Amino acid sequence: MANDNPSRPTLLRVEVAYARADRQVIVPVELPEGATLEQAIIASRLLEQFPELSLSSLKVGVFGKLGKLSAALRTGDRVEIYRPLLADPKEVRKKRAAEGKRMRRGGGDLEPDGG
Amino acid sequence: MIVDIFSLGLLAAASGLLLGFAAVRFKVEGDPIVEQIDSILPQTQCGQCGYAGCRPYAEAIAAGEADINQCPPGGEGGVIALAELLGRDPKPLNPENGAEKPKMLAVIDEQNCIGCTLCLQACPVDAILGAAKHMHTVIARECTGCELCLAPCPVDCIDMLPVAQNIGTWKWSYPLSMPEPRRAAEQVAA
Repeated sequence: MANDNPSRPTLLRVEVAYARADRQVIVPVELPEGATLEQAIIASRLLEQFPELSLSSLKVGVFGKLGKLSAALRTGDRVEIYRPLLADPKEVRKKRAAEGKRMRRGGGDLEPDGG
Repeated sequence: MIVDIFSLGLLAAASGLLLGFAAVRFKVEGDPIVEQIDSILPQTQCGQCGYAGCRPYAEAIAAGEADINQCPPGGEGGVIALAELLGRDPKPLNPENGAEKPKMLAVIDEQNCIGCTLCLQACPVDAILGAAKHMHTVIARECTGCELCLAPCPVDCIDMLPVAQNIGTWKWSYPLSMPEPRRAAEQVAA
């Protein structure tokens, strides 16, 4: 019904989020229908706030699922900007195995007869 | 005489119409007592009460299936507020559900996070930001301290830290008697 009136295009309400250990920001933005993740990120002005971010190298997604900058948004989405891991998952697992700690369910490897 | 009967009759008819209109116009959607109970509960969605979240617990209290002392995050204050609302006697927290603790915040050890997404899936309030093979970070303002992310972490990289109270972290203490001001306060903080 809202689409019937061309003079009032429907707006997408989304949030753009970026989190560091020391500071987490969630910016609500409104965009015209059909907008992409990239447009939401530009509209959020997070790139200006966090100089370590650059649009060309961003890893982004929506609610924990990696996505493309060119993907279309849906209202209610939380566009998220991700940071790389600091640890190498294989090394962390090896270290835990060496310390005799057991990897738990979902973590991948269980020790042969640990625990 | 006729005038009296007529005028009183008219008055009755007018009142009836007004009441009838009000009943339709101001019809209450849903059960207001559930809303009131839910507004007292701390919205940690931790499940310590034995229900999937605060709202289901509120519904269970309203239906008489659950007692009012099953919410450790709400603490004694929460039990007292529920008792007042429902006209019952306050009672101590049920130790089976856990003990009252100061508000905690989940913090991820970035040196050990392997980006497995298990904590993301466990978080009932979407307070963890991350994706597969990318750093996971707790959004402090959203974290309710429910501890549900601790158990799934395969590398034990999540710690619960007490929240230091300052102007940045202060919130209306639960139970809330005034949900509206809290909303306003959160908007300002955002």
